[in-house]
Amino acid sequence: MSIPKTSWADDVEELVSGQQEDDNIRTVVEYSVNEQGKKVKITRKIKRTLQKSIVEHQVAERQKWDKFGAEKGNAQGPDRATTAVGENVYLTLSAGNKSAESEQQEEKKPIKSTTGGKVVCRLCKGDHFTAKCPYKDTLGGLDNPGDTGAGPDDDTVPPSDAASGAGPTGSKYIPPSLRAGARGTGETMRGPGGGSRDDLPTLRVTNISEDTQENDLRDLFGHFGRVARVYVGRDRDTGAGKGFAFVSFEDRAIAQKAMEKVNGKGYDNLILSVQWSQPRTDPK
Amino acid sequence: MRPILLQGHERSLTQIKYNRDGDLLFSCSKDHVINVWYTHNGERLGTYDGHNGTVWTVDVDSESKFLVSGSADNQLRLWNVATGKCLYTWEFPTAVKRVAFSEDDKQVVCITEQRMGYQCTIRVFNISRTGDGSKQSKEPAHIFNPVGSKATVCAFTSQSNMIFTGHESGKVALFNFKTGEEVDSNERAHGDVVTDLQMSPDKTYCITSSKDKSARIHDTKTLDVIKTFITETPLNSAAIAPNKPYVLLGGGQEAMSVTTTSLRQGKFETRFWHKVFEEEVGRVKGHFGPINTIAVHPKGISYASGGEDGFVRVHHFDDSYFKTQPYGDLQIED
Repeated sequence: MSIPKTSWADDVEELVSGQQEDDNIRTVVEYSVNEQGKKVKITRKIKRTLQKSIVEHQVAERQKWDKFGAEKGNAQGPDRATTAVGENVYLTLSAGNKSAESEQQEEKKPIKSTTGGKVVCRLCKGDHFTAKCPYKDTLGGLDNPGDTGAGPDDDTVPPSDAASGAGPTGSKYIPPSLRAGARGTGETMRGPGGGSRDDLPTLRVTNISEDTQENDLRDLFGHFGRVARVYVGRDRDTGAGKGFAFVSFEDRAIAQKAMEKVNGKGYDNLILSVQWSQPRTDPK
Repeated sequence: MRPILLQGHERSLTQIKYNRDGDLLFSCSKDHVINVWYTHNGERLGTYDGHNGTVWTVDVDSESKFLVSGSADNQLRLWNVATGKCLYTWEFPTAVKRVAFSEDDKQVVCITEQRMGYQCTIRVFNISRTGDGSKQSKEPAHIFNPVGSKATVCAFTSQSNMIFTGHESGKVALFNFKTGEEVDSNERAHGDVVTDLQMSPDKTYCITSSKDKSARIHDTKTLDVIKTFITETPLNSAAIAPNKPYVLLGGGQEAMSVTTTSLRQGKFETRFWHKVFEEEVGRVKGHFGPINTIAVHPKGISYASGGEDGFVRVHHFDDSYFKTQPYGDLQIED
């Protein structure tokens, strides 16, 4: 079981917020809990300087007037609802129309290219745009999630590994049922009485190791009953397992029993997780 | 410099005004509210509630005792600055677009809008300062209709009985309000409506801003155009900075026309121009909408701008403003 991590910050005692005054700098220390539940220490140093100015007698009198109208009854001092301090603005006084000219020049300044002008393909480092790379199919696997990072080195993987009708130009995963010529070839199995494989009770097994093969799973689940079909999710280019598989039984009860038995069982140093597979939703 | 944002209005600002000592700033807006703020820290002192329409204009007397305001609800109101109480209300047939106190605080001039058969009218009222000020004469001391294009802005000049006016056609004129006649005029002062008029500290010259994208300085006696500042956006306001040879201009595209015009639309900056050399020397960004009104502290230590976005931004100049001399050491005798 994992031990909850503690840090030295947690060892700080619950200190009471305090204030102190040195010269004209008032230091206010506050301890509170922020939104993430963490203890926060807020230190504010406020420097107050007294500004004396000599004004006309009448002006001094006016400072003492009571507030009226919408401000009636309010205390001395500015109210945050009506008065705020804005950001620093700069007034640089200089001769001539330079301010107008420089603004015009800035607008006309050409947009600088971030690459410095040279076009480099991210995949093969040729002088074309990545989208136009001729090796997009073999080297383009870098964009797929769950990639092991072995992409550019895997030139040995034949392009047909994708086994998709779109082949060399397509880079999107195409499920088996939508692939060209998928029906009745390769791994499809005819159920008894011509039942299509879509009706089979199927389990989704996750957290399988990379080198788990179809046969391994067939053996493992075959212990419970007839396994109609096994599909191991693989990376399109490297062939390495993606960590999940679908196992279809002929009998639902067998599938149920298999699920109960295998879920949580160790296999090749990993704890398997078995669930009912969700029906495929049609993209509309 | 760090501007102080004053968020007291929910709609666009129409005018802001410093009092003579510079410690109070009055702001009025299309949301029917007039606010008064302390300028040193942006603290709001209070509000003057009572108007039922856009408050187009405010002015304060030199003692900061009385405030006058003109509004789209056809009223001119006199307020007690310290308490916020409305002392007197004058009713007119049309909206009041501009008010101004005279130098001696004894008179107030107001311009009412031209609408629905009523001509544009300029009225001058005598203000009684005795007692609490709530006893005022209902009738104006002087009333006249300026001929030709309607007046949009006005102010008292240093000459007795004369007011300086700016008009919708771009004309500026001098009127003797006792007789009601136009003493002098400059028809081609601007090419489009005059949006703002502010006097110099000594009242011998004034600056006008216009939608024709320019601002001009005029001699208030002779109406000569002394200086011209040409910008690329229609200007809503112009102000003269005391003690430094700068003028502040503010404007910006109307929201309606932003998408129909190209080229750097929506530049909402207060521009600083050199008053003598007629060149732009700096800009201050910050507003999220066109700047409708600019005012400078009477001592030149700060300025404020009010925008279409409902914000008033008060900027206290820092040392670099006072030390920089963009055109060398030559000091201009004011």
